[in-house]
Amino acid sequence: MDGPARGRAPLRAALALVGVLVVVLGFLEVALALDAPDTAWSAAAFVVVGVLYAGCGLVAWSRRPSNRMGLLIVLGGVAIMAAALASTADPVLVALGTVVATLPFASVVHLVHAFPSGRLRSVPSRVLVVACYLVSLVLQVPLWAFSAAPPPGDLLLVADRPDLAALGAAVQSAAGASVLLATAVLLAGRLRRATPAQRRVLVPLYAYGVLAVPLLPVLAVVVGPLTGMSLEVVGLLQLIVVAGVPVAFTLAVLRGGFARTAELEELGAWLAADEVGRPELTAALARTLGDDTVQLVFRVHGSGDHADHVDAEGRPVVVPPVGHGRAAAEVELAGRPVGAVLYNALVADPDDVRSAAQVVAIAVDHERLTAELRASRTALDESRARIVAAGDRERRRIAQDLHDGLQVRLVVLAMEAQMVAGEAGACPAVAEAASGLRRGIDEAAAELRALVHAVMPAALVQRGLAAATEDLVDRVALPVHLESSVVDGVLPAVVESTAYFVVAEALANALKHADATRLCVRLVADVDELTVEVRDDGVGGVVLGAGTGLRGLADRVDAAGGALHVESPPGGGTRIRAVLPCAS
Amino acid sequence: MRIVIGEDEALLRRGLAHVLEHAGHDVVGTAADGTELLRHTEERGPDLVITDIRMPPTHTDEGLVAALSIHRDHPEVAIVVLSQHVQRRAAVELLDVRPTRIGYLLKQRIADIETFCDDLERVRAGGTVLDPEIVELMLNRARRDDRALGRLTARQLEVLTLMAEGRTNAAIARALTITEKAVVGHASHIYDQLGLAPDGDDHRRVLAVLRYLRR
Repeated sequence: MDGPARGRAPLRAALALVGVLVVVLGFLEVALALDAPDTAWSAAAFVVVGVLYAGCGLVAWSRRPSNRMGLLIVLGGVAIMAAALASTADPVLVALGTVVATLPFASVVHLVHAFPSGRLRSVPSRVLVVACYLVSLVLQVPLWAFSAAPPPGDLLLVADRPDLAALGAAVQSAAGASVLLATAVLLAGRLRRATPAQRRVLVPLYAYGVLAVPLLPVLAVVVGPLTGMSLEVVGLLQLIVVAGVPVAFTLAVLRGGFARTAELEELGAWLAADEVGRPELTAALARTLGDDTVQLVFRVHGSGDHADHVDAEGRPVVVPPVGHGRAAAEVELAGRPVGAVLYNALVADPDDVRSAAQVVAIAVDHERLTAELRASRTALDESRARIVAAGDRERRRIAQDLHDGLQVRLVVLAMEAQMVAGEAGACPAVAEAASGLRRGIDEAAAELRALVHAVMPAALVQRGLAAATEDLVDRVALPVHLESSVVDGVLPAVVESTAYFVVAEALANALKHADATRLCVRLVADVDELTVEVRDDGVGGVVLGAGTGLRGLADRVDAAGGALHVESPPGGGTRIRAVLPCAS
Repeated sequence: MRIVIGEDEALLRRGLAHVLEHAGHDVVGTAADGTELLRHTEERGPDLVITDIRMPPTHTDEGLVAALSIHRDHPEVAIVVLSQHVQRRAAVELLDVRPTRIGYLLKQRIADIETFCDDLERVRAGGTVLDPEIVELMLNRARRDDRALGRLTARQLEVLTLMAEGRTNAAIARALTITEKAVVGHASHIYDQLGLAPDGDDHRRVLAVLRYLRR
């Protein structure tokens, strides 16, 4: 799908603006932090990481507009930058920074839960994320309300109660650990249900996300003192861990094939812009929904009320197929079901699938109708071919019946009349009358011969196309050049008779209307097709479908799966050419 | 003469046998397909074989195939091939084997019993008899490309046609109601025009004319 770039420019511009804003705010914050030289470096480092989050988030957002992971990552960056305000010298900003000090942890937990779509799709996930925000914001209260800090950090102090502050910190740690544990259990369950391919993507991200949050305090409280690392080194390690989170998630989102990768609007625009075929439509849906396993099925009219679905190849499909978390969203057009989108319920969001199904409904119906049309077109072609073959058989039968019946009778009758004429003792008048009768019968027989010849020439039945064409050409009053590479007895009967009637009709037309002086007939047999061509040097101007015999001829050639071409410029002679498939 | 008939239509077979016997000939065998025709020819040693082109089992050209085979293997047996529809190609094939003791006629010609029996006699005597329709085809074809034929008068063309059918001068004179002397005069002029050597022998004359028409 290379179409959906259109419509993205305004979004890109807005996101770029957000990026500029974040960078400006970052500089501003660093400038403010310079007033408190002791903590300025850490503020600057936090700002850098925050900007990194925002940058990664914006990239993900612009590349995958419908995926909310980008937005969440940007918000995570904002949370980090807000937390870093604690390192400035302004009392209000410090207070703000203190209040949201642990918000970045909650952001990371939110990211982990929301991956890959950016949406919280299960109730436990929503509960845990809300709990996490409560832990980071509400359970943070005792820490700033009851612990005295040197100015300017004392703005929010309610009472100097280190005991309450310590209790609050313990409660917050315990609650935070519980949320993380529950998150780990929930994600483990999700991994179990995922396909192996999905698991390969999910495992490292989940592990990284779940471990990064406790790792930060652990690094500061346990690893640092145990290894005797300086505070700077510990801080650096913490930042590296935190900085890795947005990079990892953004890369995972951008890799696609997993997360939803295009806007529904873009899908709609693409549908409107291009001639869409079934494989492309399915692929576009897969990309839009972020589900490689998406399958489009089309509703066909089964017998009675037992309507059924078929896949792109026309094979029956059970909707929804059992197992592997498959689900189906019906595609409806004007309240009438036209098909269904089958998808992986673990990967694609049901609401998204339903929306996408609405967007593609017309295309699905179009495909369905096209498929139906193709099927009926095939049936029509086959039936036409059968009708022509049946017509041929009927002509042969009539010719044979006339030959075996009437023609023989006329010979015998004429013979008997002549015998009466030759009978000894017959009076001259009777003899003369009987002879006349015989001649009359002979004339009738000649007419019948011509009729049988027109219905199905004996040469065609007895020998084949080459002999019959030769016989035809022999009876033409004008000079005819005959060129033939046809071997009799090789081509299918229907092809031979169709070709013969093309030559016969074209010659008859040329003799009647063309005022030609020379004619040329060519029969060229290739491995899989027969070309028949009749040319004259006459007045031209022949038009196919002007109510002439040519129209019927074109229909017949068409029914045989071939094509009839007429070239007849006024004054430039006429060339009638039929190409007939003859793979038998 | 001793005659074998090949014809799958019983009605016609009987009628033909009756006519021939009435004319004083001896029908020594009748066959309903090509194989039987060959067997009768081998066993009964006829002077003449009359056969339809179209015969069982395929109803295509079994009779012609049998006739060609007899014509090739039994030069002493005269053959008259009958057909509902005459084709130049069949005539050419028959003449190519040997242009004597051979006849090729439309089936309907049987009805003119007297002429038909004359034709049989001529073939039996070593002559060549071609249906007027075939001769007309050959002549038309030849005239399309041949200036010499175009210079012949209508009467001369009539004479040439009858010559090609294998008629004698007497028969031609009768058919055109002119004197035999007039026929000889026309024939001599035709020879001159076509560059043929004059020949009094009827058989050789037919062959010369047919050879000319088939060039």
